[in-house]
Amino acid sequence: MRATEAPSNRVRATETHGRTRKKRFATIVLTVALAGAASVPASAYLKLGTRIGTRTVTLKWSQMPIRYYVTDRGTTGVTSTQLQQAVSRSFSSWEAVPSAITSSEFAGFTLANPSPGDGATVIGFQNRPELDRTLGATSFMVDTTTGAILEADIFFNSAFPWSVAAQGEANTFDLESIALHEIGHLHGLAHSALGETELRSGGRRVIAAEAVMFPIAYATGNISGRTLKADDIAGIGDIYPAASFTRDTGSISGKVTKGGKGVLGAHVVAFDMRTKTLVGGFSLSDDGSFVIAGLDPGPHIVRVEPLDDGDVESFFDLTLDIDINFRPQFYDKIVVVPRGGGTSGVELKVVAK
Amino acid sequence: MRLSRAVLFLALAWGACPNVATAQIYIGRSVPHAGTVEVSGGGTFSGGYDLGSISADETRNTGTGSGPFVLFTATSRTKPALGLQGRLGVFVAQSASLEAGIQLARPILSSLLSGDAESAPDVTATETLTRLVVDGSLVLHLSGLSFAGGKGVPFVLGGGGYIRELHEKNEVIETGREYHAGAGLHLWFGQGKHRLGLRTDVGVSVRNGGADFSETKHTIPTAGISLAYLF
Repeated sequence: MRATEAPSNRVRATETHGRTRKKRFATIVLTVALAGAASVPASAYLKLGTRIGTRTVTLKWSQMPIRYYVTDRGTTGVTSTQLQQAVSRSFSSWEAVPSAITSSEFAGFTLANPSPGDGATVIGFQNRPELDRTLGATSFMVDTTTGAILEADIFFNSAFPWSVAAQGEANTFDLESIALHEIGHLHGLAHSALGETELRSGGRRVIAAEAVMFPIAYATGNISGRTLKADDIAGIGDIYPAASFTRDTGSISGKVTKGGKGVLGAHVVAFDMRTKTLVGGFSLSDDGSFVIAGLDPGPHIVRVEPLDDGDVESFFDLTLDIDINFRPQFYDKIVVVPRGGGTSGVELKVVAK
Repeated sequence: MRLSRAVLFLALAWGACPNVATAQIYIGRSVPHAGTVEVSGGGTFSGGYDLGSISADETRNTGTGSGPFVLFTATSRTKPALGLQGRLGVFVAQSASLEAGIQLARPILSSLLSGDAESAPDVTATETLTRLVVDGSLVLHLSGLSFAGGKGVPFVLGGGGYIRELHEKNEVIETGREYHAGAGLHLWFGQGKHRLGLRTDVGVSVRNGGADFSETKHTIPTAGISLAYLF
């Protein structure tokens, strides 16, 4: 989901991730991947995941190309054809990531609304004025036995003003930016925490972000969200790795601990000193283990911070005991990432606020 | 030939009077000459250099200020390092030699992390590098400026080399190049055909590449002191 300025008392960025329909078995609630204790490697950013028994499986498309339809309905300022073109450009942006293999195919216009359960992946506008902070959302139907995404539907809320102007347009949201975010979800990516927000009267505003998958959108007229960042690129490569992903990138792994105990849900950031890019990840198990994959080889600075208290729901199921009571800090060693390998044993010892 | 006769005469005299002649001074072909070899080994110093300041930036939202949002800043430096060196030189003329050298050092790369947007305490993150420099030099021996009866011989040198730096755990190798120029002094303990002596030199080395993520050239001071053997 992509939110506008989120109200401080109800950040609901993951609500649509929970709208999973069963395929053959019981309905499960999709949460972001808590794969640290499972067989699927948990890496940078967050991946959508589902529990199968005691395992957590990353949600992903098992077949390419992803065939999608576009609802043949525009909104003020954007025709359905312009919507389809913006969606196509957004798919192309993800497909251009060299370390990932994804593909898509526009299957045609449809009169159907984006609605899970009809067997078709549909992207379109819907008027949802009751979702007064939601610009768009993605829902899934998955095979609960394998984690394969069978269908994903994206709606853009036509209760908001939209634009596809090349340079953006004042007082309207940039459709391509939001489409790029939602199509990231469609591929199986959850939210990135690489951004800063501030509380304002009536909501939380993004100050800055360094990932398209950050849950809160830039302001109207801003088109910065059309460009994938290092964090997004690492994430898509992790889910759909090309040969170059395992050959040319590396990882940092370790633990976040407080008083000798693991910290769950700590946001760990790796800063590449050569490319000056940021890739984030989370400690995703009770022992505080984290892995940040898809990093360019070379020296990195590692930093850990808690999630903002108003943001936890954007990333994790609230039933989890996410620890946000610790101070941000740096790791006191420069961590060097090898090409095609990993640097392990990075222990970040944090202290309570 | 006059020189041959002199050599023959001295050889005969030495053979006839073994208890008198101590042969401290080699008199024959002047030493060094083309084909003379010098080996040396000792310590080296290479200066530190700044790697500059970089910031971890995030893309700002409209209306929240100008320029990128700086999450934190890293100001980095490679510290000076002592190391070991070995050299092998071959004289191509009486006053010129070609030299190959190898230097090994373990400089520390440090980065001061500061200005955190969420007030993380400042930290200096470090890493120890293993630096290997393989170089080649042309050495000009200034015999005309020699002193102490020819035992002290200044020289100048210049050349280039290859830098190979390994990060901690030796898993990542970075390579680069260096060019150097300098001057030094041989202080031989004797004047025989085989000589032991001290070699000292100072200079500058222009380097790029290696573990230097700033991707700029750096000029650093260098110095060395070695025990040298000429034969």
